[in-house]
Amino acid sequence: MLSILLWLPLVFGIVALLVPAARAWVPALAGTALTLVLAAVVAVGFDPGDPGRYAESVSWIPELGISYSLAIDGLSVFLVLLTALAWVPAVAFAASRNAGDGRERLFYFMLLLGETATLGAFLASDLILFVLFFDLMIVPFYFLFGLWGRTRDGATAGGATTKMIIYTLVGSLLMLVAAVAVGFSAEEVSGKPISYSIPELIARGIGESDQYWLFWLFALAFFIKMPLFPFNGWMPDAYRVAPLPALAVFSAVLSKVGAYGFLRVVLPVMPDAAELFQTAILIFAVVSIIYGSAIAFTKIDLRMIIGFSSVAQLGFITLGIFALDETGANGALFQMINHGLVVVPAILIVGLIAERTGSEDLGPMGGLAKNAPIFAVIFLIVTMATLAIPGSPNFIGEFLILNGTFQVSVAIAIVASVGVALAAYYALRMYQRTMQNPLPPGSDSREISLRDALIIVPMVLVLVILAFAPQIVLGETGDAVSAVVEKVGQLG
Amino acid sequence: MTFQPPEIDYWALSPVIALVFGLALTVVLAVAGRLARIAPAAAILSMVVAGGLLIGQWGESKDVIGGTLELDGLSITFSLLILLAGIVAVLFSLGDPAAREAGRPDFLALLLGSVLGMVLLTQANNLVTFFIALELFSIPLYALCGTDLRREDSLESGLKYLIIGSLGSATLLFGMAFVYGASGATGFEQIADGLSSSDLLGDPIILTGVGLVTVGLAFKVSLAPFHQWTPDVYQGAPTAVTAFMAVATKLAGFAVFARFFLTALEPLADEWDVILAAIAAISIVVGNLGAISQDSLKRMLGYSGIAQAGYMVGGIVVASTEGVEALSFYLAAYLALNLGTFAVLVVREQRDGSDDSIESLRGIGRRDRALAWPITIGMLGLIGLPPTVGFLGKLYLITALVDGGWTWLGILIVLGSMASLAYYLRVVGTVWSGETESPGHAPGPSSRLLGLIVGVGIVFAVLSIGFGILPDPLYDFAAQAGEAIGSLPG
Amino acid sequence: MSIEWYLVLAALLFAIGAGGILVRRNPVVILLCLELMLSAGALAILSFSRMLGDGDGQVFVLIVLVVAACEVVVGLGLVVAMFRRRIPLDVDETTELRG
Repeated sequence: MLSILLWLPLVFGIVALLVPAARAWVPALAGTALTLVLAAVVAVGFDPGDPGRYAESVSWIPELGISYSLAIDGLSVFLVLLTALAWVPAVAFAASRNAGDGRERLFYFMLLLGETATLGAFLASDLILFVLFFDLMIVPFYFLFGLWGRTRDGATAGGATTKMIIYTLVGSLLMLVAAVAVGFSAEEVSGKPISYSIPELIARGIGESDQYWLFWLFALAFFIKMPLFPFNGWMPDAYRVAPLPALAVFSAVLSKVGAYGFLRVVLPVMPDAAELFQTAILIFAVVSIIYGSAIAFTKIDLRMIIGFSSVAQLGFITLGIFALDETGANGALFQMINHGLVVVPAILIVGLIAERTGSEDLGPMGGLAKNAPIFAVIFLIVTMATLAIPGSPNFIGEFLILNGTFQVSVAIAIVASVGVALAAYYALRMYQRTMQNPLPPGSDSREISLRDALIIVPMVLVLVILAFAPQIVLGETGDAVSAVVEKVGQLG
Repeated sequence: MTFQPPEIDYWALSPVIALVFGLALTVVLAVAGRLARIAPAAAILSMVVAGGLLIGQWGESKDVIGGTLELDGLSITFSLLILLAGIVAVLFSLGDPAAREAGRPDFLALLLGSVLGMVLLTQANNLVTFFIALELFSIPLYALCGTDLRREDSLESGLKYLIIGSLGSATLLFGMAFVYGASGATGFEQIADGLSSSDLLGDPIILTGVGLVTVGLAFKVSLAPFHQWTPDVYQGAPTAVTAFMAVATKLAGFAVFARFFLTALEPLADEWDVILAAIAAISIVVGNLGAISQDSLKRMLGYSGIAQAGYMVGGIVVASTEGVEALSFYLAAYLALNLGTFAVLVVREQRDGSDDSIESLRGIGRRDRALAWPITIGMLGLIGLPPTVGFLGKLYLITALVDGGWTWLGILIVLGSMASLAYYLRVVGTVWSGETESPGHAPGPSSRLLGLIVGVGIVFAVLSIGFGILPDPLYDFAAQAGEAIGSLPG
Repeated sequence: MSIEWYLVLAALLFAIGAGGILVRRNPVVILLCLELMLSAGALAILSFSRMLGDGDGQVFVLIVLVVAACEVVVGLGLVVAMFRRRIPLDVDETTELRG
């Protein structure tokens, strides 16, 4: 079942390569929709008390102890669902805008390859398989940003993607060595033949002194991916040039793989190191929150606002994880979902705004709400969620995270809260400057079309539902998160 | 005094005999007038027959001529790869103006001679056969580099390769002399016995010998700091020859590297592994840094080949069966990725008249997908990205190194791969750049031969991805090579 | 009978040959130096063979001499081809290929 879920997008992507270019979006949309259905089936059938359900494992490279193992548990089930959910509007939006620039088939193939790679990272239950999918994730996006990106504000598509891939690969290649070393360390500790199966590695444990340097290699890779300060150098240019549908999924989902990696691999396998370096990571996280928020409100380019706001949000998520506290970790996982649900509509709305005003800069904008009340409401909900107003699931997430952080360090929690305040500022400014104020000439305030509404509204709807019923997520994830956090807590 | 003729296993010798026969045939065809046209077919046929005879003895391990040649997993696997490179080289050369000018059968005879030497080198189990085979593959190669008589750089590259290559051979020979003197034998197993039985560790004679042999081999497989000739010679030689050299010299060189160091010099493993590790490190740095500023694709591949050779040495440094398996796997991957890339270069040169600059590839992503994809996959594979087989190859090497206690070298391989992003991605970026007003040469008319070469490129690209996803056959293939170096840890 | 002197001579010849390759500019002289180096190796092998009382070394040397001859033939062939095309016979001048 999981294998079908994993490979379905790629299969449809290959089909997209074979149909006439003008129709390439059809298999793409069908594939993502079908994947969503499958993901929903898996999620509904998921039972936290029976984590082995759906798991599958086949020996892939026995000489090296690597297996093709997939599994789903409380940590990954909603991330998988988020992935499947996020790709549908992205493909739909791309299809509605005739994306592809003459190379539609390749475009949709790359997009769907990206979905398979991301799903693979979330579903992998073998460490080397995880690293493989992590590395694979960047390849389609290298092509998506590089071939269909537009030069903007001094950033060229080629230059930006090269920078992005170099940053990302530096981290992930080092992580590859670390992963191999983890396997050998666990073999040494346990005396059993080498295996990279993650549950097996957790059970065996690795030597304490090894943990210390392996922790940082993994942390580096994840920090670069999310990105957190100070490894976010690649982000601005990449966000500038990327085509919007690709950027939507990239920002919403791929960044979460980094945070997920901490929960899946680093905390359970390297608990001693996690405890030792907790404060250091918390400081990185809170600096990212302040840095991201501060920069976000100096920017007038909508993409940059969203980009730096993401840095801040990922900082929050990391804060929650490294509070090493059940509440905080649950909050972090919940926030991963929420942020994803917010970012996809936000980025697609940027596209809608650009179509109405001819630019993505806040400077010359205004008054788009004038003839577009429904659009205004949708955007308002998204904005409110971004700033985590009480009544949005993001509020609950941040509350849980801050609660957990408070247990560890009051000072850090207070500084992080400043980030919440800053978020209010840049989010509201973004809304006000685009939607309110007089309408400048050259801007066209028109209502959101039915088609666009159908694309964006579902995710917003899920956000609203989660606001009222967060236990849909929190109820299922609780056990898995506890297991992770307790492992760290079990130390002497 | 009666003369005892050595034991000759003719069945084991048959692949070599097939190649000798092919060589003789092509030499004769050179003066056979109209018949010369069948020379390429004859050359390919002899290589295919040799390959078939090797496959027919798959899994066996035997002595061919009185202990001087050993046909086992290592020699069979590496020889098959060498023969594949040779066949592809013949295909590449068919449309090459150089081959036409030098007289095709002569060119093919030289190529077959080199292939013969390489195949013998993979089997060499004795200092004498080691030397003969080494020279047998090198000398025709010097001449082959010089066969493009219209270009000055071709002759120059031939002479330069000859001078530096012979310098390497002479150094190697001198080193062999010391090894012989210190161990009292010329056969590899006997050398190991001689070294371990006498108390010679640290003895200056044997250390000098090992050092000089290392230097000599380093010249041949283009390891730094003996790599100076590589970029110049790769650029000057005709492209078909460069393709062959880049891949096959490493195959043959590393085969004997593995066999000599892990059989004959095995007792001294603790002495030489640090030296080899240092050479690997220097090669990785020099090769990657050198490649970054190159505008000529052949020079860039030359420098990157130096770095790749550095990665491969890691497989020998660990002195384990796993290391040899990783080395074999990586070399097979390297062959597919490199020959796929060179196929594209050859077609561009012969069909479109391009030179070998990276710029000339600009924009072929739009105009010529059949060429764009193989070279893209080749570049991504040489970086070591999934889903190519290059990723698994690097993984295997890193695993062997970490397992052998050489984690720092594994990290260095990773750092080298990161540095290599700078130049490999540059090629990918140029290929896919969307400019319609590109200065690149437009595609010219295709012929059946060129179509075939494009096909070769595509096949290698497909194999690179295929083995990247389902690597089992390749792992089994590599395991064969590893088995041959039997009694090692790991 | 001690062989040290022969080995010293061999080392000396090897060094002279190597030095010559690095210093001299005429390709024919360079080929000569290569011969010198190979002969040095041959001498070393012969000396060891004498010391060990082993016949392998002597056979090896015979083969080395043949191989050296082949090498020189090809080298001279390339030199003649270059001469015929008026390419300057001076290795420092042959700068078509950027070192």
